[in-house]
Formats: sequence, structure tokens, C-alpha cells
Amino acid sequence: MLLNIISKELKRVFSDRRLVISTFVIPAISIYVLYSLMGNMMGNVLGDIERHTSIVYVSNAPQSFSNYFDTVKDTYNMEVDFGDYDKNEFTERIRSGEVDLLVEFEDQFDAKVASYSDSNQSPEIMTFSNPSEDYSNEAKNNFVFDILEGYEKEILTDRFGNINYVKAFDVDATNQESAILDEKKAAASGLGMIVPMILAIILFAGAMGIGMDTIAGEKERGTMATLLLTPIPRETIALGKVIGLGIVAIISAACSFGAIIASLPNMLSSFGGEGVGPIGLSFSILQYVQLFVIMITLVGIYVGLICLISVRARSVKEAGTYMAPIYMIIMIAAFSTMFSKSGGVALYKFAIPVYGSVTAIKEMFSFELSLMEFGVTSGVSIIVTAIIIKLITKTFNDEKVMFNA
Amino acid sequence: MIEVKNFTKIYHLSKKQMKEQKLKASQKVAVDHINFIAKEGQIFGLLGPNGAGKTTTLRSIATLLNPTKGEIIVQGFDVTKNPTEVRRRIGFLTNELKLDTHFTPAYTMSFFGKLHSMSAKDIDSRTEELFEYFGIKDFANKKISDLSTGMMQKLSIAVSLIHDPEVVIFDEPTNGLDIITARAVTDYLQKLKERGKLIIVSTHIMTVAEKLCDKVAIIIGGKKVADGTILEVLNQTNATNLEDAFFELYKENVGEGV
Ligand SMILES: Nc1ncnc2c1ncn2[C@@H]1O[C@H](COP(=O)(O)OP(=O)(O)O)[C@@H](O)[C@H]1O
Ligand SMILES: [Mg+2]
Repeated sequence: MLLNIISKELKRVFSDRRLVISTFVIPAISIYVLYSLMGNMMGNVLGDIERHTSIVYVSNAPQSFSNYFDTVKDTYNMEVDFGDYDKNEFTERIRSGEVDLLVEFEDQFDAKVASYSDSNQSPEIMTFSNPSEDYSNEAKNNFVFDILEGYEKEILTDRFGNINYVKAFDVDATNQESAILDEKKAAASGLGMIVPMILAIILFAGAMGIGMDTIAGEKERGTMATLLLTPIPRETIALGKVIGLGIVAIISAACSFGAIIASLPNMLSSFGGEGVGPIGLSFSILQYVQLFVIMITLVGIYVGLICLISVRARSVKEAGTYMAPIYMIIMIAAFSTMFSKSGGVALYKFAIPVYGSVTAIKEMFSFELSLMEFGVTSGVSIIVTAIIIKLITKTFNDEKVMFNA
Repeated sequence: MIEVKNFTKIYHLSKKQMKEQKLKASQKVAVDHINFIAKEGQIFGLLGPNGAGKTTTLRSIATLLNPTKGEIIVQGFDVTKNPTEVRRRIGFLTNELKLDTHFTPAYTMSFFGKLHSMSAKDIDSRTEELFEYFGIKDFANKKISDLSTGMMQKLSIAVSLIHDPEVVIFDEPTNGLDIITARAVTDYLQKLKERGKLIIVSTHIMTVAEKLCDKVAIIIGGKKVADGTILEVLNQTNATNLEDAFFELYKENVGEGV
């Protein structure tokens, strides 16, 4: 019975050229075009970053570092000034982008490294950069992950004869002011933050049009009552509609997702920025499964909401009126995840429907989604979907809504 | 058998409906304590002017609306307590029930047949029979939206009867049909009666009722004012035809202002 209803819903959509084009083809094409354009833009920026000579100031550098740097400096496109600099003076210059990076070594650095043992504090190197500036970011990444890493290896081999032995120093262990941010810019940086959001919105948009058309339209055209006269339990009808529309939404999202993948070569190189991992290539199986589950459960909420509204509305037009604010709320929930920094998101936020799912996808892209957070998000979505299906069933039995009586 | 006992339906009106219907009260008693019994092998007619409460009564028998008071028993099953069993046994036809015009007649028949748990074989033979009778055969695989209005109406009758129900409920059977289709429909209802089905129809056209019905109940303003065989109603009102009988009853119950 359930299968009959689902298959009818699918046949309805897939045999209608107008619906196929508006649900699957147009969104996919627009995403491909949009992302390719974005990718090209980002690509241009990236090439520019590579050509840019980083302006770096190193304060209080020990002899061992200047010696090490001399041996590697030719590999970096970096203009480094050694000296004794006041951090406060540099804050504004870094924020404005005039200087890309300030590095400050602790006093007596060499001596402290020499006497360092597990029992006392390791010496610290502090860096100050602006994560919202691509140049600054690039300079910091090069300096910390390449130069300082190499420097540390050299110290360790020199002092201990074994690079795996212990660490020689900390970078920014106590430094609270490492990131000198321009808040607004920081929030918007990184395409990886935008992808989950766009995904969340296209999923809804894809299901919305078709849901209104097939369900509110069915009621408006009088075909729903025919269905309600059959001896099929209302629950089955509700579930069949939700699953049918869910499949459509997922296929629609898959088309859009395929478009994202297709545009990936244009933009893979352009993923950068704080806490944003490369997309697509380095995901583990577990992460793909998580992404799939989060998306499916999110689709459950979406499709449930769309069905519920469409069933309650008297006409497609009325459904559209009710749908607009819901669409707004979904967009706001999706957009607002942009302003949360990745990592360290409070657990309760994952329990907020929609918002939690988008946050989870975002955290997943930056490899910071814990199993607990994943569980909370998907669990809440499943519960919400179940409640909505219950409400749809109730609506089918509500003669005031179904027959205006 | 359909037993309607003390059936009352009160609609709760929204503010908008109150304005539209120019009513002060927020409630509308559409049907007021009516009783009747309809039996197998009979065509039972529910007669009355527009707004009398005919559609409300038939929809309640068909489980689409819940009685406010009283009870309705169809083939031994209560419409509120056991709606699924009632739905298995009835075919409900009305102009307001529509089919999705995107599909073909053949697919629509098979879809509803499956929802009535019919086997593919039964669906095929039943479809064949109904399409033959209503002349839909040549259009079986066309899109419903390409059919003429009359053909669409005949198709929705065929769809409602796919499961060969014991009880056929038909709201205004000849409304909106051309003269030939209307005749095909009333002839089919006679045929069903001969096969021992229970048929209940509503109409405001007394001449249709006179030809078609074995028993009638006349309702005016939600109240039953007469019932019985056509002859019994004529005798009660000293009239020679059903239309005169109706106006006699109307005068008695509403007043002279016809
Ligand atoms: N959904 C509804 N909400 C409120 N009032 C209704 C509704 N349906 C019918 N009515 C009112 O109930 C009365 C009976 O209507 P109906 O059963 O459709 O009559 P009939 O079919 O005999 O013309 C009418 O006065 C009508 O205005
Ligand atoms: Mg009516």
C-alpha cells in the first residue's frame, strides 16, 4: 500500500516534464554556473596570494633561528625583518593588512630550549596575524607549518638526536591575541562555510515547489478526497506522501550536489581560510555516511513541513503564502550558522532543528564534528519529522481542514 | 443496509463564512435529527432544494464528515467507529471528487484498485467491464486531461466503482451531465440495483427522482418532512406527481413564499 502511494507520487513527478525541469535541471545548472564563477573568482585571488610577497616581522629572534632561516629563506616569497618590535604598535598595521605577520620569540629562547624538560614550561613563540586577510593567513600558515616546523625538527635533532623525542617549543600556547580579526570579514571568509548553507537551502527549495504542486494542488483540484475515500489508513497516506516527496527532494539535491562536484575542478584549489578543510577528496567513509544521514534527516523535516503546510492550505496559492515565512526561517537558520566559528559550538545548538543540521555539516567540513554532536543532530531531526508526520495524519482526519467543514 | 438514526450535523462557521453566508450565529445546523433506512436492491433518493442538507448527509455516510449527533450504520459498521470497514464497502460519487488529469484512465483504475487491495487480474477484468460499458476503452491510455468533460465524468464513476462496492452513494448523479451521459448513468444505477446493490442518490430534480427511485426521503432546511415509496408520498400529499407533492410539503413547512 505504502509502495503504491510512493510510486504514484514518483510517477507523478517524473512523468511531468515541467516538474522535472523545474526541480532537477534548473537548480543543478544554476549551481554549476554559480559555483564555477565563484571558483574562478577564488582562483584569481589565490594566484594573487601566491605572487604576493609576505611582509613579516620577527621580534627577539634567537641566533639559532636566524641561522636556520638563512638556509631556507630562498624557498619562501617572504620579506622578513628581524629586530625588536612592540606588539601593540603592530596590531593596527596587521588589522589593516599593511603587515601580514608578526612573530615574537620569548626572551632567552635558546637558553630555555636548552634547559627545557617535561617538568617546566616549554618556551613559546607567539604569532600575530589576521585570519580574515588571505595574505596574512597564507604568511602565517607558511611560517608556522613550514618554517617553524623545520626549525623545531632541527633543534630536536641537534639537542636530542631524535625528532620524535619531545617538542622543543610551543606556538601560541598562551597567546590569546594571535588572531587580529576584522570580525565581519572573518565570518564571511572561506567557501567551505557557504557550501553547507547553500546545500541546506537548495534542499528546501527543491522540495518546496514540487510539494506545493503535488499536495496543495491535489487538495485544490479535489483529488485528495478521492484518496481519503479508499480504505487506506491515513498514516500510510501521510507517510507515502512524505517519503515520495523526500525521494524527490533527495534526487533534486543529488543533482545539485552533482553540479557542485562538477564545478569542483574550478574551485577545489580555492578552498582556504581558517578551519576549512578541502572538500570531497579527503573525507573518510564515516564522514560520507554522516553527511548522508544528516542530509536525509534534514530532508525529513523539510518535506514534513512542506507536506503539512500544503495539506493545511486550501490552495496552492495559500500554501505559497504560508511557505514564504517558513522559507525565510530556513534561510535565516542556515545563514546564521555562518557567524558561528567552527569548533567549540555548544552541544545544545545541535539540538535546534535545521540550524543544528547545517552547523553539523559545517563542522563536518572542518573535521570538527564529534559523534555526540552528530547523534544529537540526527536524533532531533528524526523526532521532529515523526511529530510532523503525526500532525499530517491528524490533519487528514480534520474535516474542518480537509472539507472546510 | 444503511441506517441513519437521529443524524444531526452542525457546522462551526469561521468569521469569513459567517460574513459570506450573512449569518449572525457561529453555528449552522445543516441536518437536524433525521432518520431513514435504505436497503439492498433499492434506489433510495434523498430529495430537497439546494441547501437542504443532502450533500452533508451523503458525505457523512461516506465517512468524510463526522456526525455531530446520532449515528450512521453502513452494512453493520458505524461510520465514526469503523470508517475503514465502511470505506471498503462503498463507492462515493460526486462532482467534487476529481482525478489527477496527468495520468491515464488505465493507470488511475489500477492505482485505486490496488488501494482497495484488488488483485491485478480483478483490476483488469473490472476495468475492462466498466470501460466497455462507459465507452472509455479507446481512451484508456490517453492522458485524462485530453478527455472530454463527459468522458472524464464517466471515468470518475468507473474509478469509484472499481472495487464493485456493495453500496453506491451518488450525490446529484445527473448534475452537469449531458442528456446521453445522464441516461447512461441512470441506466447503470438500475443495473446495479438489479444486481442487488444498495444505491442512495441525492437530487433536487423531482422528475429524475420519480423515474429512478424506489423510496425517497424529502428534507427541507435540514429536517425530514416526508418519506416512503413514491406512491406513499403522493398519497400523503394528495398530489399526482412528485413535483406537486414536493411543493405541497414545502408550503406546509416553510410557508407560502415560494
Ligand atoms: N463546509 C461547510 N461549512 C459551513 N456550512 C456549510 C458547509 N457545507 C454546507 N454548509 C451549509 O449547510 C447547509 C446544507 O448544505 P448541503 O448539505 O451542501 O446542502 P445540499 O447538498 O442539500 O444543497 C447549507 O445551508 C450550507 O450552506
Ligand atoms: Mg449538494
